[in-house]
Amino acid sequence: MIVLAMAAASLRRFARDRAALFFFVALPVLLIVILGATVSGFDEFRVGVVDRGSGPLGRSLVAELDRSPAIAPRRFDDIGDARSALRRAEVESVVVLPVGMDAALRDGTDVAVTVYADRANTDQQAALSAVAAVVDDQAARIQAAVFATEQAGGSFDGNLELVAGVAAGSTPVTIELDVVDAESDSLPEGFSYSAPTMLVLFVFINAMAGGAAMIQSRTLGIYDRMLAGPVTARAIVQGETTTYLALTLLQSLLIVGVGALLFGVDWGNPIAAGPLVALWALVGTGAGMLSGSVFRTPEQASSIGPAVGMVAGMLGGCMWPLAIVPSALQTIGHVVPHAWAVDAWTTVLSRGGGLVDIATELAVLAAFALGLLMLATVRLRRGLLA
Amino acid sequence: MGAVLVIAAKDLRQRLRDRSAIVLGFLAPLVFATVMSFAFRGTEEFHADLGVVDADEGALAAAFLDTLEDPELAGVVSVTLLDSETSAREQVDAGDVAAAIVVPAGFTAAATGGEPAPLRVLTSVDQALSGQLTRAVASSFVAQLNANRLSVASAIAAGVPHERLAELAGAASTEHLPLRADPQSVGAEPLRLINYYGPSMAIFFVLFAIGFAARSFFGEVRDGTLQRMSAAPIRPAEILAGKALSVFVYALASLGTVAVVTSVVFGADWGHPLVAVMLCLAMAMAVVALTALVISVARTERQADTFSSVVVFALALLGGNFVFVAAAPDLLRTLALGTPNGWMLRALTDLATTGGGFTLDLALAALPLAAMLGFSVVVGSIAVAMSRRVVSR
Repeated sequence: MIVLAMAAASLRRFARDRAALFFFVALPVLLIVILGATVSGFDEFRVGVVDRGSGPLGRSLVAELDRSPAIAPRRFDDIGDARSALRRAEVESVVVLPVGMDAALRDGTDVAVTVYADRANTDQQAALSAVAAVVDDQAARIQAAVFATEQAGGSFDGNLELVAGVAAGSTPVTIELDVVDAESDSLPEGFSYSAPTMLVLFVFINAMAGGAAMIQSRTLGIYDRMLAGPVTARAIVQGETTTYLALTLLQSLLIVGVGALLFGVDWGNPIAAGPLVALWALVGTGAGMLSGSVFRTPEQASSIGPAVGMVAGMLGGCMWPLAIVPSALQTIGHVVPHAWAVDAWTTVLSRGGGLVDIATELAVLAAFALGLLMLATVRLRRGLLA
Repeated sequence: MGAVLVIAAKDLRQRLRDRSAIVLGFLAPLVFATVMSFAFRGTEEFHADLGVVDADEGALAAAFLDTLEDPELAGVVSVTLLDSETSAREQVDAGDVAAAIVVPAGFTAAATGGEPAPLRVLTSVDQALSGQLTRAVASSFVAQLNANRLSVASAIAAGVPHERLAELAGAASTEHLPLRADPQSVGAEPLRLINYYGPSMAIFFVLFAIGFAARSFFGEVRDGTLQRMSAAPIRPAEILAGKALSVFVYALASLGTVAVVTSVVFGADWGHPLVAVMLCLAMAMAVVALTALVISVARTERQADTFSSVVVFALALLGGNFVFVAAAPDLLRTLALGTPNGWMLRALTDLATTGGGFTLDLALAALPLAAMLGFSVVVGSIAVAMSRRVVSR
């Protein structure tokens, strides 16, 4: 009873703290939106297109660039703007379609399409290859139309249409794409990436920041006063544990709910996702109580706590997929519980994993939760009895 | 003036005695910049390890291997010859190579004859970009081959009699693609991630000074020290100037430390030192203006805490301190230019990618500097307009 009363009082106190509510509700949702919109497009090259008056063949080249699965074109009116965007890494390459491209090609004159890409910049060189493939494709059709016009007569435009028909019906030397593995090693893109990682990040960060409330209770002498009554130190520890567990579970449910309802995130098999959410809430509980018993002032908990949570989140793959970092850093990342939680979410969301598939991760998380909780309990009890 | 300095010095001493000010102002940005710089070490340079299986051993396969050795591709792709498709599949799946190309047996014979065999590209779902690149390389290679085949087929379709097929094939083989991509250098330095994340972390953590300073102001109100100062022969403006100066110096010291350390240790490029100093000064001024705003809007220490948190995270989110703003959608890039931190990051991105001298750097930084100062003036004016309330308290 005392435990529940304590938890209820702490939760009421929390609900009145608007700063905490900002971090609890607004910030996670905002980050889900921004990260979700940013962590995507890893499978496309962003290519700036400047059309300086190339004519119909130029426009059809732009349409082909648009159709290419490797390229996401972005139009620029000004070549200077496009080059600035390239410098700022907003695009990986810039294609400039020259004036009179159409007329020159019809004349049988060769045309070079300028593609800006620095030799030393590998990203840009890779984008260049993708652009070149599309240009070659168009070039083949123009070559064939000119050739047919020379050999058989007729108009260039008529033959270009004919070529399109022939190309559709012919058997060119093709490229056969074969994806050897069906299962991904990283989370899906967009909100399905940002929602689970922000769940992992914010449950932990807000619990760490929440440690400030415990420190306040301690410095205000609330615990001492409680101990003067018929309340045991054990009950106080249990009351705080219940408070933090309620907070972390609430935070989890909020993010899962917002993710599912606003962003259409599929949280996977509930039998696997449920225990994962619950265990992570326990890890957060342990971290929050530890923060409350280790830091000395509420300011320390509310400023250093989140910073620690963010570094752990970075190492654990909450801010970017661990798959893109060097393998040594992947190993180091697994020192923090975040990496195990993100691994488990990857299995559940990207590979349709069930409870058994994430058993190892769950076991590790359980160990983390137990360790943190025990450490926090011991420290808190010692503080209470001192 | 003396009172201003005394108040500023006292505030700074008080600030530095609190260890979290040192952690957040100096330690944290360096730790974050280090982690980010290591994390992205592999992604800064795109490189694909490509496996090739040559089951054809004909002229076309040899020509294809030559194109892969092309100097333009050499920096992007390194080629490993593999002996069978089975082993290629295993290596792609295991991630030993990013993708593989299989030139099938009889490719040369088939490609010049009737039924061409396809080039096979093996990719992995986790290596989408390498997959796309490999596919592009393979298509470039077959492009001329296909263009010539298409030319012959089109001429036949346009009415050239079938008997002239061999003659057509001969004529087509001398054709070349009339349109080609002509790579040109834009002459920019590649944007290294430390050049982005170093400053972005420095700015993010310096924003926390807003909360510290605002809290300390209300702390003085609570403890009555502010009232005591007002009782002394010091004008209110001097008290505020002293407090502002301490925030300014703290912010400048924090930014300066991170700038020097990231430059020396990680080789981050903050542009010409004088321009970098100007940018840091402008950012420190923005922090002072924002602190003044928070103090003038808030009524209690608690409110100051809330407002400053909202300000810090809103600016950091919008300005691009959390996400690489270049990769973000257009809307976010536009919103970033409503924040002083967004302008500073944009200026430093430009400085790091152009590598000019003082004049060029100053020209590039002029607009961002003006925007940052404008922001400080607007925010500062609002704070002053509302500050009558503060003084009367």
